Formats: sequence, structure tokens, C-alpha cells
Amino acid sequence: MANSLLARTTSRLIKNAITKPMIVQTAASSDGGSYVRTLIGKREVVGFGYNGEPTYVDRVDFPLPAIRWKEPTTDILALREKEKGDWKQLSIEEKKALYRASFRQTFAEFKAPNGEWKGTIGITLLFVSFAFWIFFGLKTFVYPPLPQSFTPENRAAQLRRIIDLQINPIEGISSKWDYEKDDWKK
Amino acid sequence: MLRGSVVRVHTLLKSATGLQNGLQPLAAGSTRFMSKENTETDAQFDQRYENFFNNPQIDGWDVRRGVTDLLGHDLVPEPKILIAALNACRRNNDLALAVRILEALKNKCGSKVNEIYPWYIQEMRPTLTELGIPTPEELGYDKPELALENVDDM
Repeated sequence: MANSLLARTTSRLIKNAITKPMIVQTAASSDGGSYVRTLIGKREVVGFGYNGEPTYVDRVDFPLPAIRWKEPTTDILALREKEKGDWKQLSIEEKKALYRASFRQTFAEFKAPNGEWKGTIGITLLFVSFAFWIFFGLKTFVYPPLPQSFTPENRAAQLRRIIDLQINPIEGISSKWDYEKDDWKK
Repeated sequence: MLRGSVVRVHTLLKSATGLQNGLQPLAAGSTRFMSKENTETDAQFDQRYENFFNNPQIDGWDVRRGVTDLLGHDLVPEPKILIAALNACRRNNDLALAVRILEALKNKCGSKVNEIYPWYIQEMRPTLTELGIPTPEELGYDKPELALENVDDM
């Protein structure tokens, strides 16, 4: 049983290992590059990005992504022609359009707080409260009651005995006890 | 049999001479490849990057590479380097890249942004005016432009 299972898994693994890369290869070879390149459409690859893959991520430490954000439409291509001239001739709207064609979000946008921490804390507390339910459930239904020595009378008696035996007389509990007045030192 | 021993002797000799000539023993006194061995002065550093961006051959890819490299250091680059980078953007007809570099510079100023950043803009103002590059503030990019209203403020 175990042998036949092992054999089947191995043969499947080998089959996958042989066939899968071939699929990727055919997809990539039609585009003459990596598989990711087939996903980005006509977007221009303009740089190395953060790991050399043609992907777009807005990052503070790698501010210049590897590809432009928008695919070149006729509007954008017209703007790019205009960009080759004097930039002082471009209006603010055109400059913004050029920026948004290359980049998805400005620094101010992707650095803005998104309030995600609230949800994270909420879900964390949900799990914590669940743990409390388990704790009290176990306390009620599983564990035996606490031993006698936990009752207040017994604990008082134990303290009295500690003092009577003069335990820790230098710096500990008995040093704080006044044996002449039979009370705590004031 | 003979061939085997000859090969063995050969490899032994090779490793022995290799130790003597090429490889240094890992004892004290050998060269330690540490960052403090870098002897490049700040002026040389600035000059290196300025020369890189002033090279008329570089394309948009190289500008991006240079800027990423430059901003990866623990420093805010000198205005003259950034001016060279902005001029490189102009040569490559990439306005968005120039604006993005200014934004990245502002981010690089960190907690001292109110002290450092205005000075940088002041230093680069002639270039910005000459090339027609807007600062992120002029585009309204100092605040989130496309942000949704905060649900707590509704």
C-alpha cells in the first residue's frame, strides 16, 4: 500500500517536473523573455525595479519600478511626443497625466496611513478573547477545585507560621515584622 | 596504477603550491575585507555620481539604476548630483522620472524634511525653472491626491 502510494506520488512529481517548465517555456518563448513579461501587456520595461522582474510595486526603498504603470494609449503616446519638446509648454494637468502614466501612487499616497492596524488589533483581540473562553471553560469543566491551601484562612495561617519561624530575617519578610509589638513595622 | 599515483601527486602539488601562491592563510595579518577599507572621500563620491549622470550616453534604465543606487546610501545626495540626474531625465524625455526623483529625495530627508527639503528646492530652483520640472508640491503631490476620505472623519 505504502509502496504503491510512494510510487504514484513520485511518478506524478516527475511528470510535473517535466511538463510544467515546458508550458512556461512555450508561453515565454512566444514573447522572448520571462513568463512575467507575458502578463504586463504593452507596458514599457524601463528599469531594473527591485529584483529584476518586470513588475510594478510602489516602494519607498526602491522608488523607481521596473515598468510603467499604464499601457501606452494614444493619449499617452501623444503626450510623450509633446514631452520631447520643452517641458515648460506642458500644463500642470499634462504633467500630472505623464506622472500617472508612469507611476500608480505618489509617495504621499502610498505612505498615507490606511487604518489597517485597527483591523489587525481587532482580529488579534478576537483570538485573545477566544483563549479566555478556553481558559474559563477548562477552569469550570476540567480542572478540580483549587487545594485547601488557597483559601484566605489557610494563607493567613501560613503567613503567621513564616513569621513565627523568622524566615528571611535580614532583608525578607521577617525583617519587616516587629516581634515586640507583634505587628508589622511602621 | 602508475597513472593513478601520478594524478594524485599532481593534485597534491597543485594544492600545495596553490596555498603558497594564491590563497592566504586565515591567520592574523591577512587582509580583511571590511567597509572601513573604503578610501573614497565624500568629494570623490559626489564626483563619481555626478559624472555618471552627466554621461550623455546613459538611458532611462541607467538613470533609474543610478538613482536607486544613490538613494540606497545612508545620506541625502548633494544638489549638484540631483541636478545632473534631472538633466539626465531631460535628455531621456522622462518628466515623470524627474518628479519621482524629487519625491524620493523628500522621502530621503526623513524626520528633518522641514529643514533640509526647502534648502534643496532652493538650490535646485534654477534647474527646475530652466527645465520646467514641477516640484511635487506644485503638482499637489505633497498630500494624497487620490485618497478616499477617512471613515473616522465622515
